[in-house]
Amino acid sequence: MKPIRIALTKGRLERDTVSLFERIGYDCGELKQKGRRLILPIPDAGLEAVLAKAADVITYVQHGVCDIGVVGKDTIMEYGGSFFEVVDLGFGKCRFALAGPVGKDFYDGYHRRVIATKYPNVASRFFAEKGMDVSIVKIEGSVELAPLLGLSDAIVDIVETGSTLKENGLAVIEEVAPVSARMIVNEASLKLRQQEIEKLIGQIEETVGKQEERI
Amino acid sequence: MSKYRMITPEGTKDFLFEECAARRQVEAQLARLFEGYGFTEVVTPGIEFLDVFDAMPQEQMYKLTDGKGRLITLRPDSTMPIARLAATRLKNHSLPIRLYYNQSVYNANPALSGHSNEVVQTGIEVIGADSRRADLEVLAMALEVLQCSDAADFRLELSHIGIFHTLMKKLSLSDEISEELRGLIESKNYPALSDRLAGLGNDPMLLSLRQMPRLFGGAEVLDRASRLFADPDIDRLIEELRRQYQALSALTEPRHITVDLGLVNRPSYYTGIVFRGYLAGHGETVLSGGRYDRLLSRFGADLPAVGFGVRPDALAAALLQKGIVSLPDPSVLVCAAQGCETQALRHRRRLADQKLCAEYSVYTTKEEAEAYAAERGIPRLDFVTPDGIVTETLAEGECL
Repeated sequence: MKPIRIALTKGRLERDTVSLFERIGYDCGELKQKGRRLILPIPDAGLEAVLAKAADVITYVQHGVCDIGVVGKDTIMEYGGSFFEVVDLGFGKCRFALAGPVGKDFYDGYHRRVIATKYPNVASRFFAEKGMDVSIVKIEGSVELAPLLGLSDAIVDIVETGSTLKENGLAVIEEVAPVSARMIVNEASLKLRQQEIEKLIGQIEETVGKQEERI
Repeated sequence: MSKYRMITPEGTKDFLFEECAARRQVEAQLARLFEGYGFTEVVTPGIEFLDVFDAMPQEQMYKLTDGKGRLITLRPDSTMPIARLAATRLKNHSLPIRLYYNQSVYNANPALSGHSNEVVQTGIEVIGADSRRADLEVLAMALEVLQCSDAADFRLELSHIGIFHTLMKKLSLSDEISEELRGLIESKNYPALSDRLAGLGNDPMLLSLRQMPRLFGGAEVLDRASRLFADPDIDRLIEELRRQYQALSALTEPRHITVDLGLVNRPSYYTGIVFRGYLAGHGETVLSGGRYDRLLSRFGADLPAVGFGVRPDALAAALLQKGIVSLPDPSVLVCAAQGCETQALRHRRRLADQKLCAEYSVYTTKEEAEAYAAERGIPRLDFVTPDGIVTETLAEGECL
C-alpha cells in the first residue's frame, strides 16, 4: 500500500508535529535524524513525511501530491486554497495583530493610512471588512522597520510575545485573528483513502485533546 | 511587441501527439456514451455577455468589451450558457431536452498556482424533468464515465443540498451566517465550525450541524444522519439519497459509491441532489454535477434540470499513464520516382482504402526514402516507377 504523504512546515511546526506523533506512539527516528533528506518515512504509521516551506505545504496538498499537511493558520489565511482544514493542532499559537507606534492614535485624522505587512491578503481583508480604505505595502523582512522609518502608519503581522514590538516602540492596536497550526487534507485523498486518513485524524484529535485537558 | 512571441499565456499549453490523441480518444468515448443515451451535442459561443454569468465571482473571469462597450467574457462555465440556450431557443421543444457539450472553459486562476486556466469540459444536461428517475439516469451516466476512466480506483460521491438549506431555514439563520457556515462545512473545518456554532445558541439542531462535515462514508452515514437530525423533512431527503445510493450500488461495487453530506459546494445554483467524482492519482475533483431547478427561470423559462460536467484531461491522464494511446503509425511509405507523382498518390489512396496507414514520401530517390523509412520505423517501402511498383520490406533492426 502506498504510504500517506504528509507535508510538514519546516522548523518549529515540524518539531511540534514530531513530538505529537511520538506521543501517539509513532517511531519518528528517521525524521529526527533527517540530515539533508526532504522525504522521510514513518514506517509504522504508514506515513511519509515531506519537509516544505509553509506556503508550499498548501500548494502540495492542493495539487494532491501530498495527502495531508501541517501548516499555520497564518499561511492558510494569506494563501487560501481549496482543501479540508480538519484539526486545530493547538500548537504554534500566536496571533495576527495590527500594531503601531506607542502613544499615537492610529484612527485619528483623515489621511489615508499606509500599512506595511508580509501578509497583504490578510491585511487588505481586515481593512475591507472595516470599510477602511488603506494602502498596503508588502515588506519581506522585519516589518517593524516600516513605521520606524516613516514608510507606514502601522503594520499587520504575527505577534507571539510582543517583545519585538515593545523593543521597537510599537504596541498592538487591535487583534486581527488568532493563529495556530492546522492539519489540512486534500479533498480527493480524504475520499479515496477515507479509513486510513480518518484513523489518523482520530488519533491526532485524541492526543491533542488530552494535551488541552492537561493545560 | 515580440517579447512573448515564443511562449503561451500562463495556465495554457499546447497539446502534442500522445497528449492530444489521449484527449481526443476520451472525448470521442464520452461522446459515444452520451449519444448512446440519446443526447445531442450543442456548442455555445466562446464569448458571452457577462450578464449570463452573474452568479459567478467576477475575478475568475476573463473580460473584454464588444464594439458597443458592453462587457463580455470568455466562457467560464458551460451550464449557464446551455441554460440560456434552452430557455430562449428551445421553448417549444418536447421535454425533457437531453444535451451534451464538449468545449473549453476559461478561468483566471491566481498567478503561479499551477492550475490550468483553459480546461476542456464535457458534460450533459437533462432539462425539463424533475423526477428521481432523471436524477438516477444522470448519476448512472456519471458512474459510467468514471468506470471507463482506466484509473486504478474511483469514487462517486452523493449529497443533497436540500439538507443544508432545510437546516438553515428551520434555524432561521441569516443569509450571511448560512454562507459562513456553508464555507466551514465545505472545507471540513471542524474546529472553526464548532466555535462558530457555539456562538449561535444551543438549539439541538445547531449541535447536529456540527457533525455535518463528518457525515461522509458509506450507507451507514445515512443512518447516522437520520438519527442525528431526527426531523421528518430531512428524513425525506435522506431517504431520497438512500434510494439513489442503493440503485447505484447495484450498478457497481458498492465501495465506489459514497455519501458526503458535507458536500455543500458552489456553484450556488444547485437545488437538489449534488455529486462529485474522484479518480485515484488525481488531486482535484474530476466530475461534478447536481440538480438545478431554478437556474433556467433566470433566463425566463421555469424548467427543472440536472446535469454534470467532467474533465476529459483527467481521464486522459489515466490513459497516458497506462500508455494505451494510439498515434498514427504508418506501415507503408509510398515514394514516387521522378514523373510518377500522381500514380504514387493514387497507389497511396488504394492502400488507405485497404485501411493501411500509408505515408507519401517527400523524398525523390529510393535511397533517401529508405533512410527516412528506417529512421521512422516504417517497415515497408513502395517505390512507384514508370515500370510498376517495387515493394521492399525493410529489416526490423533498422527501426529506431
